[in-house]
Amino acid sequence: MWSDSLLIVFISICTAFLGEGLTWILVYRTEKYQKLKVEVERQSKKLEKRKEAHGDSLDKQHKKKIEREEERLKNNNRDLSLVKMKSMFAIGFAFTALLSMFNSIFDGRVVAKLPFYPISWIQGLSHRNLPGDDYTDCSFIFLYILCTMSIRQNIQKLLGFAPSRAASKQGGALFAAPPAQFK
Amino acid sequence: MSIKNKSMDSANKGKTVESIWKKAFVANTEWPDKEEFLDVIYWMRQAIGIVLGLFWGLLPMKGFLGLLLFVIVNAAVIYFYVNNFQNIDEEEYGGMWEITKEGFMTSFAGFLVTWIIVYTGLYNESL
Repeated sequence: MWSDSLLIVFISICTAFLGEGLTWILVYRTEKYQKLKVEVERQSKKLEKRKEAHGDSLDKQHKKKIEREEERLKNNNRDLSLVKMKSMFAIGFAFTALLSMFNSIFDGRVVAKLPFYPISWIQGLSHRNLPGDDYTDCSFIFLYILCTMSIRQNIQKLLGFAPSRAASKQGGALFAAPPAQFK
Repeated sequence: MSIKNKSMDSANKGKTVESIWKKAFVANTEWPDKEEFLDVIYWMRQAIGIVLGLFWGLLPMKGFLGLLLFVIVNAAVIYFYVNNFQNIDEEEYGGMWEITKEGFMTSFAGFLVTWIIVYTGLYNESL
């Protein structure tokens, strides 16, 4: 009864630790990454404070300063993602191979029963490679994705590898449309 | 960084975790570090997700109602904790929405996993 689903939880805990371990070896422990991370965090916090303090003022000098800092932060963020990218590719390949192996092990096997009826665009995932029309049957991939979503992020947070909120907020803002006051 | 510094760092970390725990359960605490408070909200959310998943699985709760109730209970607990227990000025954190969002997806995934596994284990002998 429990065996398949608990095995999947165990698998996702192991892969999460493996992924974080590999990323630590390839990225987190390198001096370049650590330097850039500290720099990005410092700049994000500074920028946030500056925006809070002068957000509504129309002073051109302040605007220019903020823009300049945003530009610097953007460059550092780009460097940071470049450092991460190479190892992410390597880990991505390794994990795709692992996933396809698990996929073939659990192929056509109902690993759990969903206590709800999934909406149509989830059914493709929750009922992948399963026989029959009972959409409350749950496939390996659906449970694995859910486990990874919760376990991986919590492990990252516990180990202190998750990006800080200020950095991700500023990072997110860089890809969004510029706020009205800076137009 | 030397070994001595590292061990001092981890000792300090241990101490701060303990003090954050204490602060989290005392009403109307001052939170000079916003990150600390958001961390408390994050981990609280994860705990709520798993506990609700366990309950829903044991009952067993079924269908869309279970998902809806989870969202409502989760948001309500955090809302009461922030507004009535800690009396936080939510504007400092960018509004209630920012606090409501904190760690929601992770907690939702944790909730679904626990709910599905407990429900499957207890009520489906066929598997």
